[in-house]
Amino acid sequence: MNGKIASGYSDMKEEQMYWNPLLETLPAEKIRQLQLKKFKKIFTWAYKNSRFHRDLYQKARIKPGDIQTFEEITQIPSVDKSMMRNFQGKNPFPYGEALCVPLEEVTAFRQTSGTTGLPVYQPDTWQDWEWWTECWAYVLWAQDFRPSDRVFIPFGYNVFVAFWAGHYGAEKIGCEVIPGGALDTQARILKIQELKPTALMATPSYVLGMAATARDCLGLNPSSLAVEKITCAGEPGALISSTKRRMEESWGAKVYDHAGATEIGAWGYECTAQPGGMHVNEAMFLVEIEDTETGKTIQEPEKKGKMIITALDRLAQPCVRFDSKDLIEWSPDPCPCGRSFRLVNGGVQGRVDDLIKVKGVLLAPSAVEEVVRAFPELSDDFEVAVGKKGDLDQILLKVELKPDYQEHRESLKNRLKNQLRITTNLGFLIELKPYGSLPRYDIKARRFKDLRYGNIPGE
Amino acid sequence: MDNSDLQKLKVKIHDLKRTALDLKTLGSSIPAVERNTSRILASIKMLELNVTDLP
Repeated sequence: MNGKIASGYSDMKEEQMYWNPLLETLPAEKIRQLQLKKFKKIFTWAYKNSRFHRDLYQKARIKPGDIQTFEEITQIPSVDKSMMRNFQGKNPFPYGEALCVPLEEVTAFRQTSGTTGLPVYQPDTWQDWEWWTECWAYVLWAQDFRPSDRVFIPFGYNVFVAFWAGHYGAEKIGCEVIPGGALDTQARILKIQELKPTALMATPSYVLGMAATARDCLGLNPSSLAVEKITCAGEPGALISSTKRRMEESWGAKVYDHAGATEIGAWGYECTAQPGGMHVNEAMFLVEIEDTETGKTIQEPEKKGKMIITALDRLAQPCVRFDSKDLIEWSPDPCPCGRSFRLVNGGVQGRVDDLIKVKGVLLAPSAVEEVVRAFPELSDDFEVAVGKKGDLDQILLKVELKPDYQEHRESLKNRLKNQLRITTNLGFLIELKPYGSLPRYDIKARRFKDLRYGNIPGE
Repeated sequence: MDNSDLQKLKVKIHDLKRTALDLKTLGSSIPAVERNTSRILASIKMLELNVTDLP
C-alpha cells in the first residue's frame, strides 16, 4: 500500500473539497467587504506600532482614519525590499523599526533567499506562524493533500523560509511529513523508494533534477515510485506548460504551482482543476496590480502589471502594500473548481527586474524556458547569457543534448533558433553542451546572466 | 452550513477564546499553563480568521 494506511478519510464528502468553504466560496462583493475591513485594521496596526510605517505614512500625510475606500488604499505608499533592508539590523535587533510586537513575542526567525540581494529578515510570533501554516493549509487542501497522504520534503531546512511553512501546513492538515533535509539527492530518492510518500514539495528545477538523478544514477524510473502529486514553489516553472508537462511525465504525478514569499506569506495556489492559473487567497491577502508605466491600478483582466500585496493578518512585521515586483494579470474567467477567489493567469509570469531589454526588445527568462523545455531532445537544464560583441547585444543559450539524441545536431540548433525567434523576436546563439555539464540547482535556479560589459563566446 | 449553525460556531469560538484568556490569567504564575494557553490562543485566532471575521 502506498502512503499512509487508509484511515477513513478516503471517502470524504464532496463539500470537503475546500479547506474553508465559508471563505473560498464567498461572493465577490463580500470578499471585497472583508478585505477593506481587514486592510483598515492592519494599516492602523502598522501605523500605531511600527515607527518605519508611521514615518512613511506621515510623510505622505495619510493617517488611519483617511482610508475608507479601495481607491484611497492605492494612494498609500508601497514598501519594497530595499526599504526593508534599510531598517533591519537596527534596534530592536535584528529586525529594526518595523517590528510591531515586543521582541520576546517573536518565536521564529526566517529570512529571504537572497536571490535579489542582501537577505531580508522576517520575525514571526506564534500567531504569525500559525497564520503562515493556515495559508499553506489552503494551498495544500486545494491540491488534494489529505490526512491520508505521506509527504516528503527534499529541502535543506535552514534560515531560508521556503518549505518550512509547507511542512507545518501539511502537518496541520494531518499529513504525515518526512523532512528530507540533510540528505543528498540520491539518498533522498532512495528514501522516497523506501517510504513510498504520496506527495512531494520542491522547486521545479529540483523536481526535474531529482528525476534525472533517479534515472541516470540509480536506474530508477521516477514514475514507478508512489508519488501522486507535487507542489512546487520558489520558481515559476510549474505553470510554464512545457516544464509542467516534463515534471508530470517524469514522475507520473500531478504538479501544482504555489506562490509565496518570506516577507509576504503563501498568497497563491493552483487547484486540482488546473485552470492555467493560480487562485489568490483573497481572504488573507489584498492583491493590487499596478501598471509598470503609469502606476495606475489595473482592474481589467489579461493586462499585465506588477503585484502590490498586503498580508491582511500578519502582525509582527506587517506587509502593507508590498511592491513584490512580480508580474501578474487577472484571469477573465472564474475557476471551474467553484472557488470565488480570483485567478491570476499563468501564475507569476516573471519579475519586473527579470525583464531586460536586448536589442530594444523585452526578454523574459520564462519565454526561453517555455521553448527549451518543449524540445524532447534537450535536458532540463539550460543557461542564458546576454553579452555584447562590439556594440551589439548577443544572447547565448547553452543547452544540453540528452544522451539518446546525438544525431542531427545542426538541424536541432536551427529548429531551436527558429522557435526562439518566433517566441521572443530575438536571435540566439546556441551552444550544445555535453549532458550533465551545466549546473544543477536545489533551491532557486540561476539560469539567466546579463554580462553586457563583457563579451560572450560565439558559436 | 445554514446561518443559525454559523452563528452557533461564532458563539462557541468566542466562548473558547474567553475561556483561554481566563486560563492564561489564572495560570499566569505557572509557565506550563501560561505558555500552552498562549499557543492555544494563536490557534483560536485562526478560527476567528476562518469563521468569526466572515462578513
